[in-house]
Amino acid sequence: MRDIFSRLGPTVERIFGKAAGSKDDAKQRLKFLLIHDQVDLTPAQLDTMKTEIMDVISKYVEIDQDAMEFSLNKEDGHIALVSSIPVRRVTAR
Amino acid sequence: MAECIVVTSGKGGVGKTTTSANLGAALALSGKKVAVVDADIGLRNLDVILGLENRIVYDLVHVIEGECKLKQALVRDKRVEGLYLLPAAQTRDKNAVGPEDMKKLVQTLKDEGMDYVIIDCPAGIEQGFKNSVAGADRAVIVTTPEVSAIRDADRIIGLVEANELPEPRLIVNRYRSNMVERGDMVNVDDILEILAVPLIGLVPDHEDVIISANRGTPAVFDEKSVVGAAYLRIADRIMGHDVPIPSFAEDTGFWSTFKRWMGMAPVREVV
Repeated sequence: MRDIFSRLGPTVERIFGKAAGSKDDAKQRLKFLLIHDQVDLTPAQLDTMKTEIMDVISKYVEIDQDAMEFSLNKEDGHIALVSSIPVRRVTAR
Repeated sequence: MAECIVVTSGKGGVGKTTTSANLGAALALSGKKVAVVDADIGLRNLDVILGLENRIVYDLVHVIEGECKLKQALVRDKRVEGLYLLPAAQTRDKNAVGPEDMKKLVQTLKDEGMDYVIIDCPAGIEQGFKNSVAGADRAVIVTTPEVSAIRDADRIIGLVEANELPEPRLIVNRYRSNMVERGDMVNVDDILEILAVPLIGLVPDHEDVIISANRGTPAVFDEKSVVGAAYLRIADRIMGHDVPIPSFAEDTGFWSTFKRWMGMAPVREVV
């Protein structure tokens, strides 16, 4: 099957959701690299920051730690810390 | 008004020297008076790419140390009116020169009546880079569609802006549209999205570059060279003309023809 797709050309491969080449790997790796080059925080430091932020939030609301997202993104040359923290219920008033 | 442009990249081997030589020659072909300055002290190469290595008497360090006059060190290119090379010293190290020396040197070149001073920056971000950006009015960043080159370009863009130069322009070199087409090379739009600087030129990967380096004749002197044509267009954009960037689709097969027909191919230009 795969052979047929690649023989038909990249457009058909893409339409049928076949593996796009290695450029997507390159792009993903680059995005990660550039952010981390600029922020200059080790993965361990990022993890500590995440834990500390969670601790503060947990004082007020109960959060779903497994569904939580925490990442650094870069858009238009600016880096943003993007986080999505699902709240289970409010614990304190 | 005279302008000094630094050609830089961070990573080595992406085509800074080829770019400097071709842009210098292309600007001279357009009637401008141009000095190309090799700032890679200790590892000069611009002389070889331009085919002027046998005509060097004095170099940049001689000028800075006052051992000769600027005019004595400038090697005039006989193939085109108005092109001059200021070679780097080969037997000295890069600490022989400082940023203030380079500022003065660039000013002297402008006072000599140069319309453009092109500085071929060495790889890296140390002394040679600092010297190269010191006298520059703006920067052209050369990169290739590879993770390592793009990463270094990002670092250099930050350093150029930290040196209070205006927003740099990007040249994407060694572009292989057949690989882009099959999804095995980062395309120019991806690079622009990642680096967030305007594109000033796209140069295809072509054996012309090796042949012209073998001969010491920059590709812009060869009317049939696609690489030479790309650099002539970049020189036009540097002079402020609005010249579109073609897509370099090598493949004339069914799918690329179809894509072109659907209007999916051309790359938008920004000057």
